[in-house]
Amino acid sequence: MKEKKKPKYNMLQNIWWMVKIAWKVRVRVLVFVVLTATLEVLYNLTQLYIAPEILKRVEEQVALDELLLTIGIFSIAIFLIVGIKEYIEENAMFPHVDVRSYIIGLIGRKCNMTSYPNNFETEFIKLRERAHLATDGNREATERIWETLTNLLKNIGGFVIYLMILSHLNMVMILLVLATCVIGFFVSLYVDNWKFEHRSEEDKIYAQKIYVRSKAESVTLAKDIRIFGLQNWLNDINTHIHDVYKDFRIRCEKKMLLADLTEVVLSIARNGIAYAYLIRLTLEEGLSVSEFLLYFTAFSTFTMWVTGILQALTKLHQQSLDISCVREFLEYPEKFLFEEGANIPKTEGYELKLENVSFRYPGTGTDTIHNLNLTIQPGEKLAIVGLNGAGKTTLVKLLCGLFDPTEGRVLLNGQDIRKFNRREYYGLFSAVFQEFSILDVTVAENIAQTNENIDLDKVWDCIEKAGLTNAIKELPQGIDTHVGREVYLDGVLFSGGQTQRLMLARALYKDGAILVLDEPTAALDPIAENDIYMKYSDMTAGKTAMFISHRLASTRFCDRIIFVADGGISEEGTHEELLEKNGAYAELFEIQSRYYQEGREF
Amino acid sequence: MKEKSISLKNAFLLHIRAMRELHKVTPEYLPTATGTAFVEALVPYVTVYFSARILEELALLRREDVLWNWVIAGLFWIGIFTILNAILKQQEEMLLDDLWGRKDMLFSQKLFDMDFADIDKQETHDLRAQVKQAENWSGWGLMRAPMYYVKTLKNAIGIVSGMILTIGLFTAKVPDAAGDLVVLNHPIFIFILFAIMLLINFVAGSLAAKAAAYWGSVGDDATFGNRLFGAFGFIGRTGARGADIRMYNQQELVSAYWKKNSAFGVDGKIGSLASGPMGLYASLGVGITTVFTGFIYVFTCLKAWGGAFDVGSVTQYVGAVTALSSNIFAIIELKGELKTNASYMERAFEFLDIPNSMYQGSLTTEKRSDRQYEVEFKNVSFKYPGAENWALKNVSMKFKVGSRLAIVGENGSGKTTFIKLLCRLYDPQEGQILLNGIDIRKYNYRDYMDIFSIVFQDFQLLSQPLGTNVAGSNTYDKDKVAKALVDAGFGDRLATMPQGLDTQLYKEFTENGVEVSGGEAQKIAIARALYKDAPFIILDEPTAALDPIAEAEIYSKFNDISGDKTAIYISHRLSSCKFCDEIAVFHDGTVIQMGSHEMLISDENGKYHELWQVQAQYYTESVA
Repeated sequence: MKEKKKPKYNMLQNIWWMVKIAWKVRVRVLVFVVLTATLEVLYNLTQLYIAPEILKRVEEQVALDELLLTIGIFSIAIFLIVGIKEYIEENAMFPHVDVRSYIIGLIGRKCNMTSYPNNFETEFIKLRERAHLATDGNREATERIWETLTNLLKNIGGFVIYLMILSHLNMVMILLVLATCVIGFFVSLYVDNWKFEHRSEEDKIYAQKIYVRSKAESVTLAKDIRIFGLQNWLNDINTHIHDVYKDFRIRCEKKMLLADLTEVVLSIARNGIAYAYLIRLTLEEGLSVSEFLLYFTAFSTFTMWVTGILQALTKLHQQSLDISCVREFLEYPEKFLFEEGANIPKTEGYELKLENVSFRYPGTGTDTIHNLNLTIQPGEKLAIVGLNGAGKTTLVKLLCGLFDPTEGRVLLNGQDIRKFNRREYYGLFSAVFQEFSILDVTVAENIAQTNENIDLDKVWDCIEKAGLTNAIKELPQGIDTHVGREVYLDGVLFSGGQTQRLMLARALYKDGAILVLDEPTAALDPIAENDIYMKYSDMTAGKTAMFISHRLASTRFCDRIIFVADGGISEEGTHEELLEKNGAYAELFEIQSRYYQEGREF
Repeated sequence: MKEKSISLKNAFLLHIRAMRELHKVTPEYLPTATGTAFVEALVPYVTVYFSARILEELALLRREDVLWNWVIAGLFWIGIFTILNAILKQQEEMLLDDLWGRKDMLFSQKLFDMDFADIDKQETHDLRAQVKQAENWSGWGLMRAPMYYVKTLKNAIGIVSGMILTIGLFTAKVPDAAGDLVVLNHPIFIFILFAIMLLINFVAGSLAAKAAAYWGSVGDDATFGNRLFGAFGFIGRTGARGADIRMYNQQELVSAYWKKNSAFGVDGKIGSLASGPMGLYASLGVGITTVFTGFIYVFTCLKAWGGAFDVGSVTQYVGAVTALSSNIFAIIELKGELKTNASYMERAFEFLDIPNSMYQGSLTTEKRSDRQYEVEFKNVSFKYPGAENWALKNVSMKFKVGSRLAIVGENGSGKTTFIKLLCRLYDPQEGQILLNGIDIRKYNYRDYMDIFSIVFQDFQLLSQPLGTNVAGSNTYDKDKVAKALVDAGFGDRLATMPQGLDTQLYKEFTENGVEVSGGEAQKIAIARALYKDAPFIILDEPTAALDPIAEAEIYSKFNDISGDKTAIYISHRLSSCKFCDEIAVFHDGTVIQMGSHEMLISDENGKYHELWQVQAQYYTESVA
């Protein structure tokens, strides 16, 4: 993949996209942009005129009440402008956050609903990360763009008005000022670009800092730290990474100083020219002191507008690149059919079939599953066993429709699952995977996976079946206690075993036609494990069930066992049949049961 | 946020303490910041001074050579100050960011030094999380101290320079010819002007403080909002939960919670305050400060009108007094902020001041070459802080170096607690643990730790070079590390590592890191335990994540590599016990059986027999 890809959308398209969202979510974002820009220009104008206008009246020795009136008018004007400006400023952040939150919501939805295989594609992962980076703070493009647009408007407005004011003067002067601005701009552009290009370097150091900090503060590592005396090592790593960061910042600093120094030289030149020109006008052509002050201020402010426009455009360009990434991510093509797919036929039982299925993860050279055939009858209890890395989990993910095969087909009652609404297809399964997603919501919501119309009796029933009743009853708020402490500080922290039971309860509540259990007892002790096994036939009554394990003992209550090795089914049958075959399954069983077999002597 | 108010004095003292602590972290910061504050505060006055001189000359004498001298001197000095300011400012910002990062080491060092009992407490982590959240939210906490320091310094310098530049405003007299305006020469006007200035700033300051206080009042809401935002907004960011999210269509539930997140939106608490009283107070506060500009114009212009000074000086006086006033305003405003921040700072110090209550002895464990250690538990009882039930009750046992001990039992029976007491992560409330007859509390803590190597079930490796992970240090004996890895069964994999011992593990730290599987990680953790070469080596559930082949491999190997060391296995898989000379069966916090496998299995009413049967049934043909 090329590093420098042309963004899909240009600056105007991206501004328009943001404006449309703001229009939909919070119109006041747009109102504030226009209002703030206007007020800024007005404020600047009053600041420009206040001293010269008042001084002019002092110089001309006008009547006292006129002098006082002038001061009064200016004071009231400034009071109003500053007051309103401050009011908007106090309120500006909130609608900005709303708009950004809306976009984060879109990104989150895409992440959670996109075709599962997208999660494994480099391009998708990269866009996903960049979309997140563009939205994850108040300083990121999706929020800062409003500030940039305000600045752009303000500076354009100021530029036009000041051009009119200065047009009384020599055009050469204006051009000279413009020239210094442009030179200064290119130097600062160079520095900005340098910083922009090194952003990833900074992000990387930052990620390393966060990583080391999280490790140094982790409770689990705290034991290792004490036993192995790892303090110094961690301090060394920590100090090193801070030194690296400091070095990086010193390099940045040098570049930025270059821009700063250029700016100082240019402003000396600019002010020198302005002084020379205006002093000559005053001395030779009778410009009054107040006019001198007006024009001098106007010159330096004019510079500000020009530089402001150029800087706002640069910023806008950078922000537009980020926003383009967000849009490309949101529009990332889907591989599966969802709402547009066919409905799942409602029948009694579902037969699942893998037909000549091969599967290969993107970017890898070999098949994880190779030319595999398997039919699972409705109501069948199937055990899938094999060593770590044999492809058991991948096989199950193919059956669940999380992946589509690279070759071959997955059939549901004889129909290719690719034509169905995939989300509806997922509804058929009650699964407990090894990597699960527990949310910081209440116990009941975690089991029911919804926050509306929860069937509480059913929830308690599933808790009971999963053997978690006592643990839940002990909680201060029972099933309404939140799980985890990440969000709710009074949440409950479940042990590994309790978590597995919670996941089991969730699967039972869903009551899908097909139950999938991927190593559901790894964190349980033998008696608890046995307890679950005992309930297994009850739980799976009337359902198709798939049970994955590398502990062969637990699979014996299944109708059929398939032994997965090297991406294919190397043996299948009942436990007894497989032992008789004396193949790989039997060998594995022998190793695992050796100790217990010997135990029989006692 | 608790509504208790901290006195200004205490708030001030807390900030002083923060400055002291931070000064130790990045000592260059304070002098640089001080220098920067001076220069930055002076720059505007330099500009005001020179432009006033030029205007004055233009208004009065109009001498061309004098004018040019002022222009050149002005450009020169303004240039010098701006350059100096730019250099210092860059330096200060860099050092401030450096400080931001490094100050976290104060917290990690505290966590290293803390009693393990405190680390294990959820309250400790909640406190730390609160400190971090306040910091992320708006920089509240320790790091506001340097910010306030710079601000105060700048304001103080601003006030002094403002006063100096203002002197002329009062000393220059309106000539008698001006008639009634002569009255302005009366010193009462100095007083009146300052009274107005203070009054306006006081009113504006209290309005601003009132507005700012709303932020303090929503502290809990805000940090809660941030947590909700972080948790539900970014669930899919890594894709690790992907499968589960889809199977249970979690997006709807996620989205329901995500939508509750409005802490910082228009409809949030602070958002509605901002559009109501908070916004009004703030805008009124800032607006009122501008009113003073009107007063100062009236006074200065009247004096100039009366002929006390020229119009050039008017700009100087107006500029100086306005700046003076805004500096005073800033200091009044700071008072409120200082108090608000003090309450956040208190939490940071509450964390940093968590006391060490564990007794620290001074006896050395004397690295005995004969490795003759004997450990004895004598009527040991222990209860986790805050828990009602005893985790261990009246445990007595004795074991000698060189033996193999297995500890079995159900989850929650006290196995891991036993180990935590043995290696002094916790001290028992009752009874004693003796090493060679002496209470382990009497030994020097670090020394005592030296005699244990433990592979916890949740052991951790860092995304750092392989060799440093084994040695736990950046400098190490390469041969010894390699040997430990080979002994742990990692030899073959080591040979395939691209940079040998220097290969980075995992990709969190660098992109070219190498991923190792759970089983491989376990072998590295075992190598770390071997490298330490301690007389006691303890394995906590070492095979839970492994498949049967790997499990068998580790079991058969470990017996050999532990050599003359004392090995303790904790397991709920009884198959590992057969290696052991002695097995202790834990149940409900007590040791209910102890003896060899043969002995225990023969007691058919015993717990061990029950545990054994539960597991063995699947492997023995007798049970269908």
